[in-house]
Amino acid sequence: MRGETPMADAERLVQRFLDRELSAEECMDFVVRLGRDEALRARVIAVERLVLEASRLPRPVVPDDFVSGVLSRAARPEPAWRRLLAVLRAPRTLQWNLAGAAAAVALVVLVVGGGLAGLRTGRPAPEAARAVADGGSGATPVLVRLVVVQPGAMTVAAAGDFNGWDPGQTPLEPVSNGAWTVTVPLEPGRYEYMFVVDGEEWIVDPFAVEQSDDGFGSRNAVLEVRPPAETSL
Amino acid sequence: MEPEAADDAALVQAAQQGNAEAFGALVSRHARSILSVTTRMLGPGADAEDVAQEAFVAAFKALPGFQGGSKFSTWLYRIAVNRCTDWLRARRPGTFSIDAAADGVAWEPADDDTPHSELEQAELAWEIERGIQDLPHLYRESFVLRHIEGLGYEEMSAILGVHRDTLKMRVYKARTLLCRSLAHLEEAPR
Repeated sequence: MRGETPMADAERLVQRFLDRELSAEECMDFVVRLGRDEALRARVIAVERLVLEASRLPRPVVPDDFVSGVLSRAARPEPAWRRLLAVLRAPRTLQWNLAGAAAAVALVVLVVGGGLAGLRTGRPAPEAARAVADGGSGATPVLVRLVVVQPGAMTVAAAGDFNGWDPGQTPLEPVSNGAWTVTVPLEPGRYEYMFVVDGEEWIVDPFAVEQSDDGFGSRNAVLEVRPPAETSL
Repeated sequence: MEPEAADDAALVQAAQQGNAEAFGALVSRHARSILSVTTRMLGPGADAEDVAQEAFVAAFKALPGFQGGSKFSTWLYRIAVNRCTDWLRARRPGTFSIDAAADGVAWEPADDDTPHSELEQAELAWEIERGIQDLPHLYRESFVLRHIEGLGYEEMSAILGVHRDTLKMRVYKARTLLCRSLAHLEEAPR
């Protein structure tokens, strides 16, 4: 049970073809293969048609009063309670996420602080963080602590968008009373994740604030990590 | 810098100096794209228009701090996507009806030549719209940005704050799910 199942080689080739990412040589090989493989050909045609038709979908007509509506709303003073809320929300983000049932309780804590930059992953900061920083908020690294209670487990790991769904990259350490924990530095963004117990049992967080159906019969917990000032956008 | 981005930069600079007309021009330039995203993310209707307006208002308030580290359009998409996510979180999914909501939004006519192809095109477009609405949220936002807005993975990564490889996976899954939901059209005699 896994949220983001890796693509098969043939499927990866199809996707790279559709995204125009094949080299000239690879493209030639692929076209030859298409000539031989009827099923693959039908698959490519179906997806190409979908992509073409999606790009042709009609756009909504912008109402005549749209621009004046925006300018009118922008000129309106912010209500006092919203200004107060913005002040209260801006300095830090703290989210608790209880996971698991009686035997599996997970806790996700977000800690925000500029001094945590040294713990960031090697992945370059996404442009989104800079885009938000452009909004005057300042991109801030966020440490997410994952805690799961799994008495009797030999190993526990986390897998999600943040590590390419590779549980090997994010093992949890046992602490006490059957609790396991790991701290993961995350860029601001939305992440789906699951816990992997003893290397084979994938458990989803039933108490996650948000869960996502991946459309393939599984559900993932969704964790949203936001830079603090973004709450005002 | 692309010509459109260069024009945006000049308008942003003027708007930052208090020129409301310049900000109005920015809204006018990007309203179609932002409304398209909010409509597809939330479903057509008055809420999508309201959320699109909210996104522009949020951009207006944050504009003094915008330093041009990204394209204005990228920054704006980011704000709009966040607004959509907030709206969806506040309102539980599954209550959207394309038929009920379609009255609220006008759509540009399809460019087609014969009544027959117009009908087929309309049917296919409707099926695709419905399929998009049925996609899981994360796949829907990726598909809309990639194939309706025509953005590249780098820009999508900047907007969504997600690595491009993850986005490719999401777009791939969205395509797969949509192809499945459209398979009955291929099987039916046309």
